[in-house]
Amino acid sequence: MNLDALARPLALTIVSAPACLVLLLGGACLVERPLSERAASRAAGLANGVGLMATLALTVLLLGQGRGRLAVDVGQWVALAEYQFHVKLLADRLSLAMAALSFLLCGVVGAFAARYLHREPGYQRFFVLYAVFMLGMAVTSLAGTIETLFAGWELVGLSSALLVAFFHERPAPVYNGLRVWVVYRLADAALLTAAVVLHHVRGHGDFEVLLGSAAWPSGRTLLAAPHCLTVGLLLVGTAAGKSALVPFSGWLPRAMEGPTPSSAVFYGALSVHLGAFLLLRFAPLLERAPLVCWLVVALGLITAGFAALAARVQADIKSALAFGSLTQVGLIVAEIGLGLRWLALAHLIGHACLRTLQFVRAPNLIHDYHTLENAVGEHPDHLGRSSPAPGPVRLWWYRFALERGYLDSLLTDYVARPVLSVLRFCDRMEHAWTNFLAGSRSLPSDRLLPPPLHMDQPS
Amino acid sequence: MHITSFVAPLAANNVEPGLMADACLAGLAHTIEQAAHLLPEQGPIKVFIHHNPLHAFEEIQFDRAVQHHAQRIFGCQPYLALERYRTLLARGRIELADVQTALREDLGLLADEMVLDLGTRYAIRLAMLQYPMPYAPLAELRWHMAEMDALRRFRADAPAEVRNRMLEETRRWVLRDLLSQRNGNSLADNAALRQAAVGLARSTDPRPPDEWPEASWEAFVLHLLWRICRRGVEAAGLGAPAAPVPVRHRDLLLAASGEDSDRLVHSVLVPFCAAYLDQGQAAWPLPGRERGFWRSFCALHRQALGPPDRWRRGLAAELERLQRADVTPLQSIRESLNLLGVPEAEWPEFIGATLLALRGWAGMLRQVEARADSVAHPVPAGGVQGYLAVRLILERFALQYLARQALRYDGPLDRLRSWLRRRVMQEDPGAAQAQAALCVFHLAQLLGWLPQRLARLEAVEWATLVAELEAFSPLRQRQIMHRAFERGYYTQVLDALAFRATLPTSETSPPWQLVCCIDEREESFRRHVEELCPAAETYGTAGFFAVPMYYRGAADAHYVPLCPIVIKPQHWVAEEVVYPLEAADRRRRRVRRTLGRLAGRVHHGSRTFTMGALLAVGLGLLASLPLVARVLFPRLTGRLRRLVGRLVQPPPLTQLHLERVCEPPAQREGHLGFTVPEMAAAVERMLRDIGMTQRFSPLVIVLGHGSTSLNNPHKSAYDCGACGGGRGGPNARAWARMANDPRVRALLARRGLSLPEHTRFVGGYHDTCNDAVLFFDLEHLPPSHKAIFSQAREVLDKARQRNAHERCRRFESAALNLTADAALRHVESRADDLSQVRPECGHATNALCIVGRRGRTRGLFLDRRAFLASYDPTQDDERGTILARILQAVVPVCTGINLEYYFSLTDPTGWGCGTKLPHNVTSLLGVMDGAASDLRPGLPWQMLEIHEPVRLLFVVETTPRTMLGILDQHPAIGRVFHKAWAFLALLSPTGGELQIFVEGRFQRYQASTARLATASSSLSWYRGWRDHLAPALIDPTRHGPVGR
Repeated sequence: MNLDALARPLALTIVSAPACLVLLLGGACLVERPLSERAASRAAGLANGVGLMATLALTVLLLGQGRGRLAVDVGQWVALAEYQFHVKLLADRLSLAMAALSFLLCGVVGAFAARYLHREPGYQRFFVLYAVFMLGMAVTSLAGTIETLFAGWELVGLSSALLVAFFHERPAPVYNGLRVWVVYRLADAALLTAAVVLHHVRGHGDFEVLLGSAAWPSGRTLLAAPHCLTVGLLLVGTAAGKSALVPFSGWLPRAMEGPTPSSAVFYGALSVHLGAFLLLRFAPLLERAPLVCWLVVALGLITAGFAALAARVQADIKSALAFGSLTQVGLIVAEIGLGLRWLALAHLIGHACLRTLQFVRAPNLIHDYHTLENAVGEHPDHLGRSSPAPGPVRLWWYRFALERGYLDSLLTDYVARPVLSVLRFCDRMEHAWTNFLAGSRSLPSDRLLPPPLHMDQPS
Repeated sequence: MHITSFVAPLAANNVEPGLMADACLAGLAHTIEQAAHLLPEQGPIKVFIHHNPLHAFEEIQFDRAVQHHAQRIFGCQPYLALERYRTLLARGRIELADVQTALREDLGLLADEMVLDLGTRYAIRLAMLQYPMPYAPLAELRWHMAEMDALRRFRADAPAEVRNRMLEETRRWVLRDLLSQRNGNSLADNAALRQAAVGLARSTDPRPPDEWPEASWEAFVLHLLWRICRRGVEAAGLGAPAAPVPVRHRDLLLAASGEDSDRLVHSVLVPFCAAYLDQGQAAWPLPGRERGFWRSFCALHRQALGPPDRWRRGLAAELERLQRADVTPLQSIRESLNLLGVPEAEWPEFIGATLLALRGWAGMLRQVEARADSVAHPVPAGGVQGYLAVRLILERFALQYLARQALRYDGPLDRLRSWLRRRVMQEDPGAAQAQAALCVFHLAQLLGWLPQRLARLEAVEWATLVAELEAFSPLRQRQIMHRAFERGYYTQVLDALAFRATLPTSETSPPWQLVCCIDEREESFRRHVEELCPAAETYGTAGFFAVPMYYRGAADAHYVPLCPIVIKPQHWVAEEVVYPLEAADRRRRRVRRTLGRLAGRVHHGSRTFTMGALLAVGLGLLASLPLVARVLFPRLTGRLRRLVGRLVQPPPLTQLHLERVCEPPAQREGHLGFTVPEMAAAVERMLRDIGMTQRFSPLVIVLGHGSTSLNNPHKSAYDCGACGGGRGGPNARAWARMANDPRVRALLARRGLSLPEHTRFVGGYHDTCNDAVLFFDLEHLPPSHKAIFSQAREVLDKARQRNAHERCRRFESAALNLTADAALRHVESRADDLSQVRPECGHATNALCIVGRRGRTRGLFLDRRAFLASYDPTQDDERGTILARILQAVVPVCTGINLEYYFSLTDPTGWGCGTKLPHNVTSLLGVMDGAASDLRPGLPWQMLEIHEPVRLLFVVETTPRTMLGILDQHPAIGRVFHKAWAFLALLSPTGGELQIFVEGRFQRYQASTARLATASSSLSWYRGWRDHLAPALIDPTRHGPVGR
């Protein structure tokens, strides 16, 4: 039996199942004929099931053949004389595990959301974004070239940010969604730069060539050490943004604005692990740059330590879970830095499942505490202990944890603000120049006044 | 301004500032205390007590309170939006006749006055109610005129004959008078108008007007009309309306710059409040929380090396200064008020608005203080003052920073407000004028006011017209529509009751009797029982069954109160495993404790470093099993969980420790329970309340109720309101045990209430979510009663299936053609489903409360909207002693539920807590929206969807004299009806006559119809319908529904 003849349609199915879902749900919304709730959730379930089945079948196929890797070339995206942009899927232990995990968790959460969001005005919007997310996860997992990975990465980022801002009638979700989006864009920029560097150096972004011919987790990169360092640093930056490592950790608790199921699967389980996945994918490359490895270990441990500290003082369940998640993500990243790839993968999968369960049960907290209280016979928080540090340090420590390590203010006041100031300065200069040329106020927006105050809005 | 009236006594107390600092501070403390009364009264969400969110204004007439206070102080909606009422009108939920009546009632004698000679006031207002008027901000109005077809076509809903007449008359007028060269006509005298019309005609259609098609005429008429309206309104010289001036700096700053200072302030306050009030969610408690809000905040935030935020620069130093000088919160508040430039006269309003800016947290601060006995981690008193002091300091920093950043304001903070006011509050009559002109423009199309007629109006007349239209503001329109909406429902119900009262009531000796809670969810359950077993009788009474107690179940750790919130129980009752099984119980208790400890470790540990890693790597993948099982197969998993749980739960044979031997009652061994005389009192109280004093059947079943659901922070809101948000099963069980006690019966017999020896009482529990019915202490059921009990049980089993079926018609996710069996399975899976945000509908649709004999209402289909309290007026005295004590429990509980639903629905995000989907359980006290927000009291949108905001109508079976006496003697009850927070009608105990309570007097109710729809069974009446259903008579002798 020809392996490739079977594998190719299977690999394509994994990606096209969610793609069809996006087309179906999104298309229906575009032509203003949205599906019924039932139809939409059934379609989501079907796409999920097909994707999961195809992933499992492909896994069985690979295992049966005893092969560690299989690449499916979908075609050229762009082909120039010196550059090629290849769309290519790569099925190996890492990508299949990640794809199976994505489909499993997306499937469960999709079924959960189908009932949880019943009669919600944004039901269709949720499922469209959900489909985009699932497509992004499938593409990212199976990506065989860095440009394919980037495409999936972008889809995940876009859908995540829009889901944070799902309740756009309130200001806080929009504000926090924007914040997530900005961090994601930074990470994306780093990834894009990494892709450009790789292309610049090798003329293509094919993992099979870049990361050696052996299947994951082995493999040796053919890149020179300085290139590895540059690309490695860029990838670490990408992973830090996507996985909310220090100093970007502030966005993770802020992402808990969407409906519970989306918080669960996206920020608790899948999205937040993508950075770790990226590092796992590029592990052979990191290996060649010990400096980057140490940086990854340090970043992972600092994040884990910081998050474990912050998790202890959060008084709301979703933030506590977010920091709990981050603790483990930090550890996973550190494991990758230490070269423990299998452990990291197992840790990642186990953690994603555990956290999803905890997140979807989060609203049950009060009931759970009550049950616990009855079983133990006293208030269950007696199980917790106060910080072991001595008095004044404890206070400082506590505040540091409560204010989430001041990371947000550092980024806002000392990174974003200066950048904004520069941009505003440029804007003023340009404005002055155009005014000078026009001889008057050159922009219509100059004439805008703040709207008059309406305290009691008419019904 | 409005809050001042609320704290009026204070203004008189004010002494000269500076003269007596202490008195001033005392005054300030008083002001804060008064303002704090505006805060939500909802306590920790674990025990959800339904209450009126406008509790602070119950002394004021309902409409006044909601319009003047709700909207201005709280910024929340008092009624539904006008469009919602119009939709209801279109759907037939509001009848036009009711709108007309409500409007006439409102206008009284003024209804038929002519407004100029354009029409009666009544006709104008009716048109404004019936047809949507474009009320909108100026920009939208402009857009409306520019982009819509408003100037090319008549309103689509304008009556055709009005339109034709206007076109016809205008054409004649234009051709004959205006455009022809003849002079001397009074109309044509108006040179300006004439010129305008000529210009308009040219721009409308270049052809001569005689050749115009109809479309051109239409456009011309409308343009002309619009021009006349605008000119007229301008001539009337309308001033800008006095827009309310915001008292908080933040509102002005937001309007001026788009920057919200509250965002900064809350980013510090919300996490701190959550940590301060935390009841055990975080692993580390806030250090120093026992020293109170103010001190712990200062201690935490005055440390060096704090957050680098620019806006908080200097905060640590400021707090250090305050702490060194030992400044009290009150002194600090006064200082902050001075620094912010708030004069003393404005303090009440300013403080009220400032507290309400984060009302959920501020309110919870008070509640946790007030309920120190019922929370795990109480906090010291004085939190609100501390909170306000902290808040004002933070506001100072935030305002100073943002004003400088956004508006380059560098002046002193105390000038900021007036500076902002000058900047923001521009007097702009344009909006009001456009609004008024547009109103006239639309009314003209609806009522056929000809342009030439309007053109003739003088400036003074225009002013009158505009004033007339403005007097009927959208708010007033909503009030009338709301009144009509309520009226429609009340009429249906009163007509049905009047009709039912003409039918005979039969008194037989029932084979068995059933006592339920008054809860409106039991209405359908009782109805189905009565349909299945026409000989059986049902009763309703407040679901704590006159047994107020602290109760601890066999598997519980603590005692919880089970009685209405207004009662403080004096007795403690514990459930104990029977003696032979005690050893097994001890063993299982140990297992539970071990498992519980383990679960606690895992729960906390999963968020830590090492333990989290071990769990994730070792057990993480296993978590996918329960994840998949619980989400995909909720009912099966629920069963499995219960099956396994049974292995560690206490053995099934338990009894209540009900009898006390030592005085006084207390929460310790030997002091638990009631004495025999106390038991007799409780038994007698309930029997007399519901009028069950003769014709006892051999078996009386007493059912408490509660609700099961998962993933539901608002779970307690579904439980029994009369048990203070607890489950009433233990009360029913206790009461039945008491009533079975021969010593109690002997005592009762001495008091003239003899219970036949063969009568047995059985306590039970009805789950309103999964419709399960459990019975207690069946091992004590004598063999002689087994047959009748089995019979009753069979009926109840069928009844719960039918009840589930009737409930399912309200769930969109349940098909309408379910069988009764499938319906029961459906509601069972709802209770076990983690993803189900609507386990049941709760109290939604409640609208009616009937206090009287069931015989007077039996057979009426009331669609689960009626609280049903049993009361027999023939057994009560002249003064209504029994009625008064029933009403004392029923009125506050039922109106609390009703008004909580009313307000949560009219403004789901203001009074209610919005949608459940992003809710985030915080501090084990309540829910926030998403990552961090104010604590959200009130009900979630998912509980309210099918509710109709109708104030409760009480129908009491008594005489006007007795009722008036009760209203006089019990001001708390009287106030509710006098101030129209609920409505009242009386059903004559002897005849079919109904009286309604209007402005302090009872008037005879005239039924609008003498007929009532009839159906052979509840099923045939509701089958296939999702929407609300009108009352009907369920008469098994009839076939099929008639007159739905």
